[in-house]
Amino acid sequence: MILATHGIIGSSILQVDPDWLAYYNRVIAAGGSLSTTEQNATKQLVADLKANSLWTPMKAIYPMVGASAAACAQNLKSSSFTGTFTSGWTFASTGASPNGTSAYMNTGLVTNSNLSLNSAHISYYSRTNSLSGNRFEFGSSASSAELYVCYKAFGDQYIAVNSGGSIYSPLSNSLNLLLASRINSTQLKIYKNGLTHQTLSSASTSLNSLSNYLGCMNASGIPLYFTNKQCAFASIGDGLTDTEASNFYTAVQAFQTTLSRNV
Amino acid sequence: MIGYILTEEQAEQVQGKFINPYCFINCVQDINDVWFFFGNEQDKETFKDSEYMWLFDLPQGEYIPKPTPNPFDETN
Repeated sequence: MILATHGIIGSSILQVDPDWLAYYNRVIAAGGSLSTTEQNATKQLVADLKANSLWTPMKAIYPMVGASAAACAQNLKSSSFTGTFTSGWTFASTGASPNGTSAYMNTGLVTNSNLSLNSAHISYYSRTNSLSGNRFEFGSSASSAELYVCYKAFGDQYIAVNSGGSIYSPLSNSLNLLLASRINSTQLKIYKNGLTHQTLSSASTSLNSLSNYLGCMNASGIPLYFTNKQCAFASIGDGLTDTEASNFYTAVQAFQTTLSRNV
Repeated sequence: MIGYILTEEQAEQVQGKFINPYCFINCVQDINDVWFFFGNEQDKETFKDSEYMWLFDLPQGEYIPKPTPNPFDETN
């Protein structure tokens, strides 16, 4: 029995995913820490994303664990695009909460250097239910080269993936995972909780040259439309198909459930 | 929302300055173009050994945001 236990531990050590280990080491090197539950949840998230061929499409994944700027700034996918937070955030085991007035995180991920015109996605997992105000959760905008997710602003819901902004049909709440994806030059799709919320005719235009901001919109270099929604996960990368969006949601929601912060 | 009020010179001095590799200062202007800094208790802890701790000693006031223009309003 003891030998078996040791065997499991030994096997577990040998099987630690190198990408997860690199992420964990970045968290520690930054002065952050992860609880055992957070370590296990992020390990499983990496495993689930890889098992569903969702690891490669990701450019940046922010799991928002560790309850500190140092930990939440780390990109699970790679050492690139480590975020930098402004003051005005509150970090907790449930995620990172911007103040809705001045707080955002600069991802350093510049759209035209890192994304493709006709294959891109952006997502935000909100734990705050509020559809008031003019707030954008994640993205960037320059002229008609826009990329963002927004639960509600100016009385409508706006979305863009390398295009001009489009209005989509209202959401019943601003909880859980909102994802916008483009996999061709003519349409973009909005997914809420892994399900197709709407398919919009939207011609791709161009890629902007801006860094994408989390917690607001980078509007031609100016942070605007600050959100007050607690972020428990965000991602940006290549476009996802319906099946991929569904599997992605399943993995993210399992991750949140492990952390007891799913909504 | 209550924030710390800065002079123009103070805002210029601190805007964009990094406290550590993962945190920098962002001040915003209110409806009257007065500069505000927002920092919570966690920020206070982050700032405590920095040269910018004085921000938390500034006078406080009510922040009223500028009206946000609707970028999707074609009449703008």
